[in-house]
This record gives sequence, C-alpha cells and structure tokens, in this order.
Amino acid sequence: MEFLGLVNYALFMGIFICIYALLALGLNIQWGFAGLFNAGIAGFFAVGAYTSAIVSTPPADGRLGGFDLHFVFGWIAAMLAAALVAWPIGKICLRFRSDYLAIASIGIAEIIRLVIKSEPVLTNGARGISSIPRPAGDLAYMESQIAYLIIVLAVLIAAYVLVERQFNAPWGRMMRAIRDNEDAAKAMGKDVEFRRLEAFIFGAALMGLGGALFAHFNRSITPEAIDPMVATFLIWIMLILGGSGNNRGAILGAAVVWIIWSVSEIATDRLPHEYAVQAKYIRLFLIGLMLQLVLRFRPEGLLPEPLRGDQRATKSGADPR
Amino acid sequence: MNLFELLNFYVVPGIVLGSIYALGAVGITLIFAILRYAHLAHGDMATLGAFIALAVVTSLGVSPYVALPIAILGTAAVAVGIDKVFYEHLRERPKIVTVMASLGIALMIRAVVQVVWGVDTQTYTRGIVRPEDYFGIRIRDREIYTILAMVALVGVLHVFLTRSKWGKAMRAMSDNPNLALLSGIDNKKVVMLTWVIAGGLCAASGFFLGINTELKSMMGWHMLLPMFAAAILGGVGRVEGAVLGGLIVGIAEELSVLVIPSEYKAAMAFAILLFMLLVRPTGLLKGKVL
Amino acid sequence: MKTKFIALAAGMLAATALASAPAQADVKIGLIGGVSGPIAAMAPAMIDAAQLAVQQVNEQGGIGDGENLVGVVGDSACNPQGGTDAATKAVNIEGVVGIVGPHCSGAVLAAAGSVTIPAGIALITPSGTSPEISGLEDKGTVFRTVPSDDYQGRALARTMKEMGYGKVAVAYLNNDYGTGLANAFKAEYADELGGEITQFAAHEEGKASYRSNLAELAKGGADTLVIFDYGDGTGLTILRQALENGFFDKFVGGDGMKSDAVINELGAENLANFVSSSPVGEQSESLDMFNEAFKGVGGDPDAIFANTSYDAAFVLALAIEKAGGNKADVAAAVVDVSNGEGEAIRPGEWKKAKELIAAGTAIDYKGAAGDHNFDEKGDVPGTYALFEVGSNGFEVITEMK
Repeated sequence: MEFLGLVNYALFMGIFICIYALLALGLNIQWGFAGLFNAGIAGFFAVGAYTSAIVSTPPADGRLGGFDLHFVFGWIAAMLAAALVAWPIGKICLRFRSDYLAIASIGIAEIIRLVIKSEPVLTNGARGISSIPRPAGDLAYMESQIAYLIIVLAVLIAAYVLVERQFNAPWGRMMRAIRDNEDAAKAMGKDVEFRRLEAFIFGAALMGLGGALFAHFNRSITPEAIDPMVATFLIWIMLILGGSGNNRGAILGAAVVWIIWSVSEIATDRLPHEYAVQAKYIRLFLIGLMLQLVLRFRPEGLLPEPLRGDQRATKSGADPR
Repeated sequence: MNLFELLNFYVVPGIVLGSIYALGAVGITLIFAILRYAHLAHGDMATLGAFIALAVVTSLGVSPYVALPIAILGTAAVAVGIDKVFYEHLRERPKIVTVMASLGIALMIRAVVQVVWGVDTQTYTRGIVRPEDYFGIRIRDREIYTILAMVALVGVLHVFLTRSKWGKAMRAMSDNPNLALLSGIDNKKVVMLTWVIAGGLCAASGFFLGINTELKSMMGWHMLLPMFAAAILGGVGRVEGAVLGGLIVGIAEELSVLVIPSEYKAAMAFAILLFMLLVRPTGLLKGKVL
Repeated sequence: MKTKFIALAAGMLAATALASAPAQADVKIGLIGGVSGPIAAMAPAMIDAAQLAVQQVNEQGGIGDGENLVGVVGDSACNPQGGTDAATKAVNIEGVVGIVGPHCSGAVLAAAGSVTIPAGIALITPSGTSPEISGLEDKGTVFRTVPSDDYQGRALARTMKEMGYGKVAVAYLNNDYGTGLANAFKAEYADELGGEITQFAAHEEGKASYRSNLAELAKGGADTLVIFDYGDGTGLTILRQALENGFFDKFVGGDGMKSDAVINELGAENLANFVSSSPVGEQSESLDMFNEAFKGVGGDPDAIFANTSYDAAFVLALAIEKAGGNKADVAAAVVDVSNGEGEAIRPGEWKKAKELIAAGTAIDYKGAAGDHNFDEKGDVPGTYALFEVGSNGFEVITEMK
C-alpha cells in the first residue's frame, strides 16, 4: 500500500510536470528564443482548456456547445483557439517592448479571465464546465494515471522534438538574432515583426494545449484554475529556474519547481499538529526561500542556454537598456 | 443623476482610491527607473506596512495616524534588508532573474504576515464613520487625510528629487547609470535610498487602504496589478506621472460601473492602459521607453 | 547544484516515506481546504471545526479498538491545481480513508474527478455549493453537508417576501457561490413571487472601493440590499461602505455573511437592520451543542461554514466506524449513518454512537447544520433560519421554509 501510494503520487506528479513542461516550452519559444515578455500565460491556458472542454463535452443547456467530439479534436481546437486569440493580441501588443508587453499581457489575461467568469452563455460562467471526458478514464485509478501519463508524455516529447528542431534550424538562429540584436537582424533583411508574431502564436498554441491537457485530466475546468499565481507566475519561475533559452532546461525547471511546490507540503506537515494550518503558510515561505537560493547560486538557470559564439555581452539584450 | 451625486459616489471615492494606488505606483516607478525591473513584491510589502501599523495600534493603543510613521520606517528598513539579502547579488544578472526573485519575496512576506498576524479580517478602529458634509460634498476625515498625505508625501519626494544632492543623484542614475557612475555617484547609496523611499511609500499605501477598508493578508496582492497599470500609464520614471496614473485608474474604476457591467470593473485599469500604450507608448508624461 | 537539488528532493520524499510509515495504527482523514489563496480568512475556522470532531472522537474512545483518528490538513489553495495535488497526497501518501473538503467548488470538482472518484475514496465537502457537484458521476462517493445554492436562495426569497420586504437590490460576488445564490434568489423572488428586484449586479473581490457599485445598486429606489458574499471578505467592505454612506436601510445576507467579522468590525449597534440566513439543524439543540463545544476549544461558532465542516468530519468518522475501517465501504456507510432512520446522534455524542454501531443498531446523525439526509446525488436538503444581530451575537428570528 505504502509503495503503491508513492507510485500513484509519482504518476500524478509526472502528469502535472508534463503539463507544466508544455506550458514552459511554450513560454520558452516566446521568451527564451524571441525575447517576448508574455505574462499572460493564464489567458492562453484558459482559452485552450475551455475550448477543448466545449468541443469534447456532451451538449449542455445554457452554454455554448458541447459538441461531443473526440478529445483529439478538442486538443487540436485548443491549440487553434489559443493561436487565434494570440494573433490579434500579438499584432497589437508586440510593438511594446519587454516590461510594457508584460503588463499588457497580464491585463489581457485578466480580461480573458473576467469574460470566462462572467459570461455563462459562453463558458457556463463561474460554475465552470465539468464531466469533460478523460482519455483512458474508465480504467482503475493507477492504470488510468499510467495511461494518461503516457499520453501527456508522448505529447510533450512530440512538442519537444518539434521545437528543438525548429531552434536548431535556420529559423532558430534567426530568432536569436532578432532577440539579441534587433537592428542588425533588420539590417539583414529579416521581417522582425512577423517573426516575433510567429513565435508568439506558436508559444500560445502550446500553452493552449497545456490547458486542454489539464482540463481533461481533472475532468473539469473552472475559473479558479486561471489564478495568475499557479497559471502564470509559477511557469515563469519554472522557465527562469530551469534555464531560459534551453528546452531541456524548461522541462527540468518544470519538474524541479513542481516537485518543490508539491513535496514542500509533505515536509511542512511534519510540524506539530497544532500548527497544521500555519504549516501551510510556512510552506509558501519555504517555496519563496528555495527560489531565492536557486536564483542566488544558479542565476542563469539549472541548464543555461548553450553558448553559441560570444553571447555574454548581449545576453541581457531583451532587458531594459 | 445630479452633479453632487456624481462627485460623492463616483469621483471622490475614485480620488481616494487613486491616492492609494498612486502611493504604490510611485514606488514602482522609482524602482523601474533606477533599478530597471518590475518589483512584484510591492503589493505584499504594502500589506506588511499596514500590519506593522496595526501591531503598533494594538500594542500601544495609539491612534492609527501615530502608527503610520513607525510603519513607514519599519517597512523601509525591511525593504532595504530584502534588497541587501536577496536582490543585491542579482544586480549584474538579467533583470528577469530579479523579477522572479521578487515573486518569491512576495510569497515570503505574505507568509510572514499570515503567521504573525493570522488571516482574519481586521481593522484599525472598530465601527463605522459617516461622512461630513462640506457644501454638498460628503467626505470623511480619513479620506481627506488619505488625499492630503498622498499629496504631502509625493510633494516632499518631488522636492527631494529636484533639490537635494542625493535626489539629483537618483535622477542621474535613472537617466544614465553609466554616466552617473563615472561622475562619482555612489551606486549603493542610491539603491538604498530608492528602497527606503519605495518601502516607505508602500507602507503608506497599505496603511491608507487598511484605514479606508479592512486589513486582509491578500489586500496588497489584489492591488498590485492596478498599481503597475498606474505606474506605466503615467510614464515610467515619472513621479508625478505615477500620481496622475494612479488617480486616473482609481477614478476610471469607479466611473466604469456607469457604462459597463460591474463585474468588469477590474478590467478597466487595463483597458485604459492598453489604449494608452497604443496611442502614446511613453505614458502620459513622457517616461522612459523600456 | 543540480545533483544537490535532486538529492534534496529525494531527501524530502524519503523523509515523507519514513514519517508516514509508523503511523499505520492511526486512522487518517484528509482535511483539505483553501488555507492559502482567496478564502484564506475562512479556511482556518473550518479546519478547526473539523478538528474538533476528530478530537471528540479520540476523547470518547477513538475508532474501532481505540485507534486514533487523525486529521491531516492539506492546502487546496482554492484552485484545481492545489486541490488535486492535496487530494493526491492525502490519498496516496497519507493513506486517508476519507476526505473532508476541499472548500472551493472548482477544487472539489477537480479533486473528485481526478483523484477520489477513481480511487474510490469518500469525499464530503462542507462548502462547495456549485450545482455541478450534484451532476458528477461519482459512484456514490461525493457528498456535501452544505445545501446547494438553489435551495437557500429560494428559501431566503420566500422568507423575505413573507416578512414584507419590498423592492430589493442584489449584489453578489462573481464566483460560483455568489452567482448560484443570486440566480436562485432572483428566480424565486422576482419570477415566482412577483417581488421587485431593481438592480442585480456582480462584483469582483478584493477591490478597495465599492461605492460606485452601491450608487448604481441604489438607483431604482430599493430600500433593501441583498448581499451574497463572504462577511470576512468583500461582503464586509460592501456592507461597511453601504452603512457609512447611507445607501439602503435594510440589509440581508446569505450564509456567507453570517460572520463574526461583521459584528467585530462594524459594531452590533450599527447592524440593527441586518439579517442573514444560515443552515441550522431541524432541532436547533444540535447547533447549540456544537456551538458550546466549539467555544470550549476557543473556536468561533459563527465562523462561516464552521458547522458544516464539523458535520462533514463527524459524519465521516461515523461512517468509518460503521464500515469497520474498510476504505471501500466508507462511502456507502456515509449514507447509512445519516439516512433519517435509526437512533438520533447529535454533535459530540461519539461514545453513544460507537456503542450503538457495535450493537448493530441503526443510527442517524442529526448535525449542527441540518439533518444531512443525503439524496442519491450526495446532496442534502437544507434547513435554514434567519438570524439577526443581538446583544450576544447572531440570534435566530425565524425558520426559513
């Protein structure tokens, strides 16, 4: 029992890590390779999750859909919808640099959250959508977790391989050139704005897919899931801590941060019984402290971006001058 | 709706709210200008300031306004301490690393507040205060103090920045750090001063939010986004811009219920901000282009 | 550094495994709540109330052959991410036989959908009011001790109509709790009973000022404001600003507004025209017994959802006793110990219940927040009363039908 319990817990963590790794990969395309400070991950996550939920649930009264389609269509629709939402946003906002883009994207994510929460005809409003089908959900507890882990792992690996290939292709070199020295890239005749938009949309599509995987795993999606802390900032921590600009770093960061996030609760539960509630606050303190320590001793991330030529001098190119 | 109704229920509350936002936004804008990163722990630092004042009020039994200076000093000290321990060694790193660190600090400060003061909703003074009538304008003393304190604090800061030696050094750092360093400005002192000012204003912002409503452990976190919107709206690095931005965001939020459903009130700050960035990316008063 | 990190993580895991190994003799239940996050102010009292039930069980003979009942606290942070994480840990690492919580509906849906239903663990939420929870395909494992919003909203509307309230305006928090109550209230008050609702508006939590919202609500000339919100959160801010600025004469709240924070911060003298509904047992002595006991351990019985949390934990304990510690039977036993047939058991009467169970007599728990006769969806029909603020805190004015 003890052992099986640990296995079940590990499987669960594996699933969550894969989902978060997808989000971190998406962010890595935007920030690590194109230098776009997107702080509105939660918005694309939500669009993906709700799209897939609407596409794959049985018809329901009072809201859009459901269309009762296979979950694969839901996931594809999630990516398309997130990309579709990202397109006008990118078109308008990508002209802002760095921190301006950050605050603009936070704002857009908040607006998306409010719309999802307040428009019952679209998303069932504050109640959210439940009875979303879960692939292999009819199996027993552990088997269905294993099956779902295999599915999300396959999706993650596919995404990783595709993204990695793109990065090592001329496209990736061009993106880094744009990130590190926009003027030079422009002088070389690259369409900087279009390329940025491309990266923004690709990243958003991956985030949408992550949202869909999350919704199907929980068989429900509610506005509470679009909390900026767990759906935006946590992913930023993962990417920066893992190593931005490095896809493996993004995945490793997701794993490390989620393990800290989750396991820290078990550690603080060892406090005396009377402090059971306080332990939860102390847990958040420890998470914050752990973050400080990693950033202190490993500020370039656990797996830094591989140096291609001398990039040191321009590493902070995307930062304020 | 007559004019007084508009003033009493929409504009005056908007100005009070805007003053609270402004106090926070000034700190954010200074950190942006001099240290060049978004400080995400700003809201929780304001919470800390509010609770320090509460501790003084409950332990010494003094009026909240007596506790305010103590809270300002205490929070300023904490801000400097956090910078020394956690942010200082990240200064040469990409700024995003410090932004992430500040997120961790936000969690840590909130945890400290929750452990020390608990999570119950609290107030400085029990009971309710009905407003006084000044020629048709209904306003409470505490609201007048909020607005006056904001004007006074920002005024003093403005004089300090334009007249004193260290204020000029801060502005120099903001305009051109390399040149400032070359001309012999002590970087460390400027940074410390920035944190003293930002921390103190944070405490004032949290205090006035607390005295106008209640103290909750999440109160600062909820204010963070509007404060950022206000700072950028006014133009990064511009103190008077942050005040203007804060007031605009506050008043716009209150007026917004006249035209849009009230559940979208929180979106108002961002709608204005997006519009602003599109038509005038440097902010209302010409700030830095990041 | 990487290796250090992995070593650290592994160390934490190992410590966990070690620490939970010797605890086999205890019977564990998970107390999962939104300790951090938006309802941080409400969660501690709810968890304390559940811990009171655990304490009473242990003082009066424990589970089975005197085994200790242990409440393991988990933090759902009021979001699905935290809810599933906490539930997974409770079920797999702690090996709980049942869960009280999570508190927020979104976390309940996610934790039930991905953890407790597949694992066959009983889950009783004391505060998840969303109708979506009724619709879960839960194989009979998901329950709640809080009646669904629909019932309370309609009962409140009927009672208010009876008491002669006229034109009202409704302000509700924009989440599943506020929206659910407000819509049920509106359906009954305006559509069924022909009452007049002049304004009907949602608000976001955590803003500093709601005066413009109140000014909007006041348009249309209603003299009563109905607030569906939490009394130690935004609801308090709204009530304060309404009182201070002289909007509305009378105030009515849902069960979320019946919070001590309202009296403590605004003063009883200012709340003469404030009433709020709250669930009570059909025999209110059950509620008195709970209030007495909870005050005894330093708790505040008026805290929101404290009585439903207590009931959830006590029913779960009874079910575990009934099921003989057999995890798979706990869910069915929850229905058995509270289906309205058998000897009545009131809050705190663990010893009596234990003896009756041992003798094979049927028992029926009559809780502090209602009789809890679960229907096939795991819901309870509510029994509510309307409370006013008296000199000793909240006092019952009338039963709500």
